[in-house]
Amino acid sequence: MMIEALIAVALVGALVTFIAPNRIAGKLAFAISLIPAALSLWMFTVFDGSGNALLDGELAFESQMEWIQLGDYTISWFVGLDGISLPLVVLTTVLTTLAIMSSWTPIDDRESQFYGLLLFIEANLIGVFTALDFFVWFIFWEAVLIPMYLLIGVWGGPRRKYAAIKFFVYTNVASLLMFGAFITLVFGLGDAVTSFALPEVASAMLDGGPEGFLGVGGSTLASIVFVAMFLGFAVKVPIVPFHTWLPDAHVEAPTPASVLLAGVLLKMGTYALLRFNFTMFPEQVEAYAIPIAAIAVISVIYGAMLALAQTDLKRIVAYSSVSSMGYVILGLIAYTQFGVGGATFQMVSHGLISGLMFMAVGVIYNATHTRMVTDMSGMADRMPVAVGILVAGAFGYMGLPLMSGFFGEFTIFFGAFGAEQLPYSELFTPLAMFGIVIVAGYLLFALQRTVFGPYHLETDYEVGRAPLHDVAPMFVLLGIIILLGVAPELIFEMITDAVDPILENGGEL
Amino acid sequence: MEGLFDYAPAIALFPLAAFVIALAFGNYLPKKGAIPGIVATGGSLALSLAMLAAVAGGEEGYYHDTLYTWAAGDAASEVGPEGIEFTFGILIDPLAALMLVIVSLISFLVHVFSLGYMNDEGETGLPRYYAGLGLFTFSMLAFVYADNLLMAFMFFELVGLCSFLLIGFWFRTRSAPSAAKKAFLVTRFGDYFFLIGVIAIAATFGTLQFAGNDSFIAAAEAAIDGNEQLFGFGAETWVTITALLVLGGVVGKSAQFPLHTWLPDAMEGPTTVSALIHAATMVAAGVYLVARMFGYYALSPTALAIVAFVGGFTALFAATMGCVKDDVKQVLAYSTISQYGYMMLGLGVGGYVAGVFHLMNHAFFKALLFLGAGAVIILMHHEQNMWKMGGLKDKAPVTYWTFVAGALALAGIIPFSGFWSKDEILYDALIVGLEEPLILAAYAMGLVAVFFTGFYTFRMVFLTFHGKPRSEAAEDPHGVGWSIKLPLLTLGVLAVVAGIANLAPVYKLTGIELTFLESWLEGGLEGTTYVAYTELLGDVYDTGFIGTESTTVLIAAGLSLALAFSGAGVAWKLYNVPEPVRHTEKLGGAYDVLRSNYYQDEYQVWLAEGLTLPLARAADRFDQTVIDGTVDGVSTASLFGSDRVKRIQTGIVTNYAALLVTGFIVLLIVLGILGGWFV
Repeated sequence: MMIEALIAVALVGALVTFIAPNRIAGKLAFAISLIPAALSLWMFTVFDGSGNALLDGELAFESQMEWIQLGDYTISWFVGLDGISLPLVVLTTVLTTLAIMSSWTPIDDRESQFYGLLLFIEANLIGVFTALDFFVWFIFWEAVLIPMYLLIGVWGGPRRKYAAIKFFVYTNVASLLMFGAFITLVFGLGDAVTSFALPEVASAMLDGGPEGFLGVGGSTLASIVFVAMFLGFAVKVPIVPFHTWLPDAHVEAPTPASVLLAGVLLKMGTYALLRFNFTMFPEQVEAYAIPIAAIAVISVIYGAMLALAQTDLKRIVAYSSVSSMGYVILGLIAYTQFGVGGATFQMVSHGLISGLMFMAVGVIYNATHTRMVTDMSGMADRMPVAVGILVAGAFGYMGLPLMSGFFGEFTIFFGAFGAEQLPYSELFTPLAMFGIVIVAGYLLFALQRTVFGPYHLETDYEVGRAPLHDVAPMFVLLGIIILLGVAPELIFEMITDAVDPILENGGEL
Repeated sequence: MEGLFDYAPAIALFPLAAFVIALAFGNYLPKKGAIPGIVATGGSLALSLAMLAAVAGGEEGYYHDTLYTWAAGDAASEVGPEGIEFTFGILIDPLAALMLVIVSLISFLVHVFSLGYMNDEGETGLPRYYAGLGLFTFSMLAFVYADNLLMAFMFFELVGLCSFLLIGFWFRTRSAPSAAKKAFLVTRFGDYFFLIGVIAIAATFGTLQFAGNDSFIAAAEAAIDGNEQLFGFGAETWVTITALLVLGGVVGKSAQFPLHTWLPDAMEGPTTVSALIHAATMVAAGVYLVARMFGYYALSPTALAIVAFVGGFTALFAATMGCVKDDVKQVLAYSTISQYGYMMLGLGVGGYVAGVFHLMNHAFFKALLFLGAGAVIILMHHEQNMWKMGGLKDKAPVTYWTFVAGALALAGIIPFSGFWSKDEILYDALIVGLEEPLILAAYAMGLVAVFFTGFYTFRMVFLTFHGKPRSEAAEDPHGVGWSIKLPLLTLGVLAVVAGIANLAPVYKLTGIELTFLESWLEGGLEGTTYVAYTELLGDVYDTGFIGTESTTVLIAAGLSLALAFSGAGVAWKLYNVPEPVRHTEKLGGAYDVLRSNYYQDEYQVWLAEGLTLPLARAADRFDQTVIDGTVDGVSTASLFGSDRVKRIQTGIVTNYAALLVTGFIVLLIVLGILGGWFV
């Protein structure tokens, strides 16, 4: 019942915070969020699962009960953790706690609702990463959108309405496509499945796949569903060319929402790709390897080029997320232990680093009320500690060794280079790797313009040192980033343990 | 003695601790963190010396141990085991032990020198400065004793970070952050190829170990012997490709053509940092890497020849630019590029001992020259332009005489240290060049560069110290303390005597064994010794002599000495006068080309700002208009469509009735047609 406890604490906490007075809401939400964070860290230390959740693995903290009987199909409350989902759950709880603390300075309006929504997001995100029944999973998946929509739409910047609606409609339409595709698949599988439990669907897929549906043959149906689901998730990741909602959402979103958006919400897309497309459709993965690798490379390079053209610090980090997610796709399509394992590691790592970057940019914004590169210079003079962390975070983003980003990228590159099921992998990989040069270009350029040089600020604000509660969350993140960079086996071991069964059905092991 | 090796990790960890202490508590410490740095690097130096003794006295003559596994997993390699382990480990063999001593010694002296240099300037960022030095030393030391290529890459990158932090130390200026960015970016471009090389080697051989039976070098040799096909290439071609990819990182860090452009700009950092970067850390890292995996390069004649050619070309190319600089640090910067070119030339022609020898000597005399320049800058109240100096000779004798010792070593004048190593490099290049025309060209470039080296070195010495004072500062120089003089004297002595380590010409002419460094490098792990390399190189290069070995030695040494003296002589004639003038008009149009550094910066800036940036902006416009336009278009279209459909809902009952009836009729007709009622 541990997972239920996690979700329940966050949900009840959300309700309590919602009705609490504004002036204590921030501290209250922080205190409440410490419970799931501590609980998930404890679960991390006692984790005893093995294998993959969908492929007959030993689940940790499993809990299953029948919920609804829908014709021939049973819908169950079914949750559990394996080595892929556990690190993401810990990422969610820790990042939420830190995001709450980082909101204390900038949020001064309807605080109780704001913090209540943050906790509500947390509950749903934990649900997404733990649910193993499609219905339950889909409810959480969709429910994440609502609080994020409100966070952007209510507390956002000047174009918040446009950004919020774009975010909501775009990702929702994509979800619809994915939902339709999956239901079609379940019907196509016929008598082989009697529930929406993901392990059951996965084993039916691997044991022969769909018989066909509405006159469409089995293998054609599988391909159609694969492509439809891929497109559905691609919006969430986002993969070029479905990425344009992301920079708008990030620019308008308040800092803590950006932290969770880049840190965890994007990982929903890659997590789902791994759970559905890359676990259930090994044949299609192989068949579509070249186009998928190609869009991964395009995402990396094109996203980085877009970041290079920006002058808004938040847009720079937003586009660089597009670029970093391209690495994840490359790792997945490599279909090797290092590739898929590295991609999963990179999900966690990018969550930490992008969270750190958005916090640091937020701290600068709190002080200067501008994010334009052209509006400021020499910030290091006034806020040395915050800028120091920003610089450290930027180097983390560039994949500096002994920080987590390097491990993620290195394992992805290594896993992809020699990948046997991916044709031309020795060409795709170096192409994607050029991203590590461009990322250094745009981040160093931005640093040079904003934090170095003689002090200058276009806006009329007095800039002083950032308060401790702004800096503390960033220190925590930096500590974790370095810890995972020095000792990646802390999570890489459990990740590869959960990845291996996937590769036994396809790919290389 | 062997038990000593258990303390090897501390060599790098001491400066790391100093970094943490200086960063966290520097502001509260006396001297702002200098003391922990001095203690730490002093400790590293003592331990490194102990390692040197242990390597010399131990039975095995090396130490190799894996500290921990960073990551392990299954990965199919072309030839080699199915799984792979990425580890952190320590390899202290004669080469690494020597380099550890050099790095920790230079770093220690730079720390001591900083006491006098940085404190005089009333600087506020001192904890950051000493933290940077500590991290720099840590990264470099860990790089030096890394036992595998990935660990080496990781600390290689960290060295890059530290150079960024220290070059940009005076971040409140516009130029320092720009130079720092350039240094990181240009070397990162090289490291991009290096990383591909690391990954390719790992994916090919399933190991990244430098030494031992399971090293990638041994695996590569076996693959070549077995005529394996690797990634669709013949084994030797593939080894060449990967070796050249790794060389990308070397060219970046060691500032070889065409990635040398960051180095002169890096003079924006404090002069002490320049001393550290040029003598012992960043720039030395590249060449050291070639020496570290020399066995791999020795497997590929093509790769070796390219190393040699790049080196020879860079030696000449940079030396010519050094001749027209006005800033004392700029002259030294170009001399660094040029000297590392010599080391590459030496290694490329198979002169492993010569290359390492020059790496060592250069560390001493270049640190000396930079610290000497630092002392001059203090004397001159922060003036760096040599045309405003002059006449410092009598006012600062310690600085002058040590500087001259460094200059003589740099110019390669017998019997100073630089002569012995540079001569050995040129000799090795000559004997190979007599059989291989390409190498002969590289040799010729290296030889011509000797003339320019002598010229710019003594032009610098004469302009700085001789003649009449040409500014107020030069007439009344600021004094320097013992924290500055002591490091200068230490390095001055080393610049004079370090050549004794390997008097190869003496051995070749008289048979007296004075080649200590060569015997030193013959020890160590099987496969990474000079003996093993000599064996490998036997297949790669033929060597020839002009007459006998002795005459060749004499001709080579005589040629380079004559050129060095004539270069120095020209400088003497032109600039050792009371009131020297530039004499640049004699160069004509060439002067502009040299002043502009052959327009290397221009085209690289154009690549970044003239090509990449507009491309990025075009991509951004495309993204905003076409891609996002489509998204917005879909939304507008559906809004527009629904708006039209909405008009059907008029709210008037008769309209609904009419629609209902029309719809019913249409339905009937359709059903009728389908049902065949009208036939």
